[in-house]
Amino acid sequence: MKPGTRLKSAACDTEVMVIRCADGQIECGGAPMGEAKPAEAAPLAADFSAGTLMGKRYVDADGKYELLCVKPGKGSLSVDSVALVVKDAKPLPASD
Amino acid sequence: MPTEPQAGNAGPRGPAIPLARWASRQLDALARETGSAGLAALDGPTLLGERGSNGGYVINGKVSAGLGGSRLLPTRDGRWFALTIIREVDRELLPALFGEPDLDIRDADAIAAAVLRHDADELLERGRSLGLPVACSDERPKAGAVEIMTRGAARQRPAGHKALVVDLSAIWSGPLIGHLLWQTGMDVVKVESPTRPDLIRRDDPATFDLINQGKANVLIDLADARQKAELVALIRRADIVIESSRPRALRHLGIDADVLVREVPGLVWLSVTGHGATGEPANWVGIGNDCAVAGGLSRALVEITGEIGFVGDAIADPLTGIIGAREALRAYRSGEAQRIGLSMSAIVATALAEERAFDPGLLEAELRAWGEATGKRFPCIPRRALLAEVRQPGADTRRYFPHLAPC
Repeated sequence: MKPGTRLKSAACDTEVMVIRCADGQIECGGAPMGEAKPAEAAPLAADFSAGTLMGKRYVDADGKYELLCVKPGKGSLSVDSVALVVKDAKPLPASD
Repeated sequence: MPTEPQAGNAGPRGPAIPLARWASRQLDALARETGSAGLAALDGPTLLGERGSNGGYVINGKVSAGLGGSRLLPTRDGRWFALTIIREVDRELLPALFGEPDLDIRDADAIAAAVLRHDADELLERGRSLGLPVACSDERPKAGAVEIMTRGAARQRPAGHKALVVDLSAIWSGPLIGHLLWQTGMDVVKVESPTRPDLIRRDDPATFDLINQGKANVLIDLADARQKAELVALIRRADIVIESSRPRALRHLGIDADVLVREVPGLVWLSVTGHGATGEPANWVGIGNDCAVAGGLSRALVEITGEIGFVGDAIADPLTGIIGAREALRAYRSGEAQRIGLSMSAIVATALAEERAFDPGLLEAELRAWGEATGKRFPCIPRRALLAEVRQPGADTRRYFPHLAPC
């Protein structure tokens, strides 16, 4: 897995772009994400069904993982079953 | 032309900014349509050049003037890619842009070398997915310059009605629309968030003051349901709204522009965007210099001079300010509620095409002179005197929202 990889949820419509990652399993809706969509959808785990928001950046507590949501869905993101949280957006400083 | 040296900025002045005459013609027409003395006193060279003149900007070729956050870089397939980095957090996206985890994101040469390892279309697609302001010199804007997105009922206004403008925008183009409307005598309320203020006030106070003078200023925390409800109530009383958020940002806040335009007779809602307010381009980020590249202005320069470069200073911003004001005033006079999407890159493309049709020889001469002026300072624009007070953040919150407890 490298930065710039686009991953799809097996459980919902979510798609993310990998900004930063390590060796853990990236999941959405409780199911592993992959570059291709599986033929059969995975069930949406109740614990990981808060949804993703387009354009939001999601991070883990250690700063090892960062994912950008490029397509929203009903699942929520996790790494090795630990939920990721939304990173605060920064306003634009000036026009350039 | 004044040639007095300024500390740190000594050097000859460059030529007129191409498209400034086009901007003057739009302003002249608008001043005639409205009979506004304030608009008649303005011209294209002033609105396009005052920031660069006041700031002592230098014409910098492949690096944008001023902050220098935009660069034109060659790609593997022999095209030109404009990459803009104005927030440090955006650097964190560069490994993903190039698919290169070990890229030194602080090193401009390493970034340029990475651009050269990729094709332009790939960088454009991935950059736009990542929310970076990126452009290619040979792309064509997808949206129209001005698109009517939603229409609503008309409103008859009594003679002498004083229009209320709610300006939710930030930076340059949106606030300039508000400034031009203020010049015609409208009341303009600038809305800022205590957590996301308009950073131009801090970063470029001279420009901030010029384009926000005379506007009332209110602070509204959109995370607070009561304050947001008060703002929506103000919008329902307004004649014109100016907003430059990406559509999903508005949706996340729970403000539905289309519903408001359908429900409030006569409400004119301007959505200022980089590349279009509907469909896929609505998700793309665009600001002044990269949108000028996407609008074909750097391509026009290289076709004439053989050298690519940025033309003007974030020129898509002031051009969009002028066209936005024109469209707002026309819609307001029609009385019909409408939501109008403005595409900064398509506005540059339109201005360029119209100027080329108007006087191709003169445009060519101006582009040639601009290209030859690399290293010179921006043309000198007499500093405009302020005509009104610049209100402090939140100075008018209580006046407009008497029911909100003081924060």
